[in-house]
Amino acid sequence: MIDQFAFLISEGFKSFYRNKLASFLCVITIFINFSVLGSLFSIGNNTNSLVDFFRSKYTFEIFLNENVEKKTYLNFINQLKDNKIVADTELIDKEKSAIIFKEEFGEDVVKMLGYNPLPVSIKVFINEENFEYGSVDLLIKSLSSIDFVDDIEYRGKYIDEVEDRINLAIFLFLIFVIAIIFLSYQIISNTINLSMTNRKNFIDILKYNGASDIFIKIPFYIESILYSTIGSLISFYFVKYLFLSFNSYFSINIKIDDYLWLWIIGFSIFIGLYSSNQSMKRNLYE
Amino acid sequence: MVEFKNISFSYSKESGIYNINLHVNDGEFCFLVGPTGSGKTSLLKMIYFDIFPLKGEINVLKYNSRKIKKNKIHKLRKKIGVIFQDYKLLKQRTVYENIALPLHINGVGRKNIKSGVEEALKLTDLSDFQHKFPHQLSGGEQQRVCIARAIVKNPELILADEPTGNLDPAAAHKILKILEQINKEGTTIIMATHNYKLISDKDYRLIELKEGNLISS
Repeated sequence: MIDQFAFLISEGFKSFYRNKLASFLCVITIFINFSVLGSLFSIGNNTNSLVDFFRSKYTFEIFLNENVEKKTYLNFINQLKDNKIVADTELIDKEKSAIIFKEEFGEDVVKMLGYNPLPVSIKVFINEENFEYGSVDLLIKSLSSIDFVDDIEYRGKYIDEVEDRINLAIFLFLIFVIAIIFLSYQIISNTINLSMTNRKNFIDILKYNGASDIFIKIPFYIESILYSTIGSLISFYFVKYLFLSFNSYFSINIKIDDYLWLWIIGFSIFIGLYSSNQSMKRNLYE
Repeated sequence: MVEFKNISFSYSKESGIYNINLHVNDGEFCFLVGPTGSGKTSLLKMIYFDIFPLKGEINVLKYNSRKIKKNKIHKLRKKIGVIFQDYKLLKQRTVYENIALPLHINGVGRKNIKSGVEEALKLTDLSDFQHKFPHQLSGGEQQRVCIARAIVKNPELILADEPTGNLDPAAAHKILKILEQINKEGTTIIMATHNYKLISDKDYRLIELKEGNLISS
């Protein structure tokens, strides 16, 4: 049994070595496909980071009613600071509002009207590390219901629109990735199928000598694992160094997923095994 | 050993085999004779369940053509040695590796493979060629490799499909002599041939086919 298993393993390796052209074509096909897929995956992964970046830049400003007491809003600011979503707050009292108004519009509103009509406001900065879109939304809703809160300027609305567009792009991107995966499967499957059809004679000889289906399949599975592992390993290093070069050349920060290698190799082995199994069914039972 | 019951099979309207009833006993040496296209190869293919009859049934060893499942056919083939006219050798493997193949398939251990292959090489007079590749051998030598591969697993039945078809008379006689020797040791042999000259002086059973019909058996 051990001898038989060792024979099958060695057959897989020998077959890979003996059919150099077919092996080379399979490895190249897998390399090209998984380089494209790996690159798309990395871009997609960084698109999510972009959305997170936008979201983390949320700030909102709470405008208070005219008659609210100082003690009340200072107490309110302390409560806000205790919230783990909130990174910091900035109090913009009437005097500071007037200064900002003058900076922006060049007019002294107090001199012009004889009184200061600008409300007290609190600028709230969101904690980037613990950012969660849902909890910010919930916080804004609960703050709106407080009686001394007049209005909340919610800049997130604009970011929402940007996010919507990014999400649409991600959706279209996902469809594109699925199409590429399907295409990759077809190309890899056809290449492996071609390689096996070339060895129909070998399969027939095994069959006529009493080999069971699994005995015939195992060397091909091993061969397919070799194609996939080699092709996907090369594509992983290609994608990795491609983005590292981009990062250094364009001074950007595209992150490479820590498990990209596992994802690429695992998925490639899965497609390779599935393809070889399908083409084996065709070649064994036709 | 082998039993055909009302077997019919056709590739097309013009060619096929029709209503064959036949019985081959254990230890027999039979020649399946008839002109090209008479159905000899089809009959042999049916014995190792490469094709199945459209009508009737075949019993080979303890396997029935109607009852056997596709994934069990290999069990029957492990007990049958097949010799092909076109040898069907693995070109990238040595003579030794080609002969050892059925033993690997049968799960024989490495030591027993060595002794088994050496014995088969000796019987077929190929000991000096074991490290050569098929393309380095003559037609007769390649056919002997094919025979060695068929006998190495000690099959109960050997099917030889025109094993001398591509050989000169001397090589053909040598092949036949080897097969006779194997048969003397108890293995049943069915050999298809259209070389009447080769078998004319032999006193073995003749199964004659013509246009798919059994003429005599």
